[in-house]
Amino acid sequence: MPPILEVENLVKKYGDFEAVKGISFSVEEGEVFGLLGPNGAGKTQTISMLTGVIPPTSGTARIAGHDIRKEADQVKKINGLVPQDLALYPTLSARANINFFGRIYGLHGRELKERVDDVLRIVSLTDRADQVVDKFSGGMKRRVNIAAGLVHQPRLLFLDEPTVGVDPQSRNHIFESVQRLNRERGMSVVYTSHYMEEVETLCNRAAIIDGGRIIAMDTIKNLIGMLGDGGVVYVGVNRIDEAILGELSTLPAVKDATLVPVPASPPGPDGKETAAETKLAGTTPVVKIVARHNQQALVNVLGCLNQQDIAVTSLEIMQPNLESVFLHLTGKKLRE
Amino acid sequence: MKAISIALKDLQVLIKDRGMLFQLFILPLVFIFVVSGALGGIGASEEVKLPQLAVVDLDAGEHGKTLVDKLSADGSLEVVLTSSAEADSLVSQNKLVGSLTIPAAFTEGVESSQAVTLVLATAPKANPQAVSAIRMVIESIAADLSLEGQIIASLKQLGEMRGSLPDESEVFATEHVLAKARQQFVDAEARPLIQVVQSVPQQDQDQETTINYGQSAVPGFTVLFVFLAAQTTAKSIYEEKKIGSFRRLVAAPLSKAELLAGKLIPNFITNLAQIAVIFILGSLGMSLLGMAALPFAEVPVGTILVAIVLALCSSAFGIAIAGLARTDNQISGVSTILLWGMGLVGGSLVPIFLLERFLGKIPMVVPHYWANRAFDDLLVRRLGMAQVGLDLLVLFGFCLLFFAIGLWRFDYER
Repeated sequence: MPPILEVENLVKKYGDFEAVKGISFSVEEGEVFGLLGPNGAGKTQTISMLTGVIPPTSGTARIAGHDIRKEADQVKKINGLVPQDLALYPTLSARANINFFGRIYGLHGRELKERVDDVLRIVSLTDRADQVVDKFSGGMKRRVNIAAGLVHQPRLLFLDEPTVGVDPQSRNHIFESVQRLNRERGMSVVYTSHYMEEVETLCNRAAIIDGGRIIAMDTIKNLIGMLGDGGVVYVGVNRIDEAILGELSTLPAVKDATLVPVPASPPGPDGKETAAETKLAGTTPVVKIVARHNQQALVNVLGCLNQQDIAVTSLEIMQPNLESVFLHLTGKKLRE
Repeated sequence: MKAISIALKDLQVLIKDRGMLFQLFILPLVFIFVVSGALGGIGASEEVKLPQLAVVDLDAGEHGKTLVDKLSADGSLEVVLTSSAEADSLVSQNKLVGSLTIPAAFTEGVESSQAVTLVLATAPKANPQAVSAIRMVIESIAADLSLEGQIIASLKQLGEMRGSLPDESEVFATEHVLAKARQQFVDAEARPLIQVVQSVPQQDQDQETTINYGQSAVPGFTVLFVFLAAQTTAKSIYEEKKIGSFRRLVAAPLSKAELLAGKLIPNFITNLAQIAVIFILGSLGMSLLGMAALPFAEVPVGTILVAIVLALCSSAFGIAIAGLARTDNQISGVSTILLWGMGLVGGSLVPIFLLERFLGKIPMVVPHYWANRAFDDLLVRRLGMAQVGLDLLVLFGFCLLFFAIGLWRFDYER
């Protein structure tokens, strides 16, 4: 079966600024494909080109065999877009919003009503359907936002950061909806996020995008496997200087050692940034060790610090994941 | 069909926006009532106090003189006895309200119970209230003269008959006289001996006009607020872009023309509703304030035509604002100042004839001027459809210009 989406060397320029620098990838029918990258990496620009919102400067893409430039109308009927913004009319009810977007896609009468009821069921909002969207929580609004993109039953759904600003419960709800749509209806999904755990959970494959370029693309397992059993270790110390940092960098099994700027602190076990209070509480320096082999690097670093009579105040080991892959590839965190 | 869906959705959103509804429908009425109530006398006052009427007495007989004397003695108008040529000149230049011509055989006609006609020629731009008042005075005096003439003629006729009757017919003759007199009252009312015919000479376009400020306030504020409603189109598009729904619409299988039409139609419908509500309630309010209501019913086609072109022009202006404005401040702040300024220059706040005294032809550069002129010509000066052709044409030209600017500058990507 041919891919539902084939992207070839897609470029978007604004004057001298190149937002997307020749991206190429493909998505198989029924696949959930992740576009992982920090804010400003070019994810939304890529999706905007693929959904016909903006024209590419050069390059092309085919969706279900249709050229996005030459057969825009066909492509738009196949696509569904759930934008990053809450693209809803706040003074209208959830049902009125979804109804409207259904009509825009040419649905009407009984078919429209059935589709609206169906997507309200998918996002579990049937009982709140006639309430004004403005009264909804952030998570519920996100769910209506998704429902509005699903009402015309697209073959290829673009979800652009669909969980920004939602509570964990609603996030889980969204995950379940995406998984069910993919599993039960065979819907292909392009999912953009800067939350690595979302891409790890939902996607079969992912492209890591930074500065308008794809810097890695593979299955999630293979991407994480790039690091071997290496990872990142955060060591809190009572003092540090450039000479000691240099010494730590040269230790066996250590790839790099840098000082984490205050008040930044290592992310929590779930990959999220720690709360502001936690960051401020720890005023001692934190050294970030990028390891080739976690265990060996840890032994070497602690030994070196002990020799220098430097006390360790905190210690955190990050297991290899997409966050550490991104760190490994770019030298920066996904949410920097 | 998709454009209609967008339009219906926008109207649904608008109906829930109470602030906007207040601005569109209530605020203009508040302005009209306050301004009309406070300044309604301005413009009308000079003429209503003592309107001037030229009288051309071609009769020079007893009844002609009586008519002139009674008009002068009435106190509600100033009579200027003059020649026919001078009267025509004064009237065509709008220097007085009108002229009354007493025909050559007026006295002879009245005395012989022959129908005679007085011709009242009114100035093209005369205040309708003043014209109405003068006509009432003339008709009242003419009715008195008519009755008097018919009774005298009848009595003369009876006197002549009496001479030929025997003495025993005296009683019958008295009853006959009374019956005859009663009949003359009835005849005088049904078929007045003296009729007044009104005519309006060809308008001289270069002459300044004097219209009632209170009356012109209704179309003036209507035009102002209809153009202010252009902001709702621009705001609606800006809001769509801000919340991201515009991106969603662009991503849908929807042509740009359908999208823009969908955004334009609600404003067009709202504008028409706005004009209807303001005209009807504004006119009703003016009647309550003791002013003459605007004669929409007399020129329904003309009023509707101007309303449609005005609504279209405002909607196109909204698209132009949406195309040019880049921030909320530019839509809400800058365009508000711009639209009020255009309204001021275009004669929405101050009558056009006053503005032209010191701004010359400058008001012509704004669409408000042409819309105000069209409504004034139709509803205040009552000049008829033929006079508003140019106004409509220019207004439609503005409409095309605004739409072209909107299409040229509209950013679908941002």
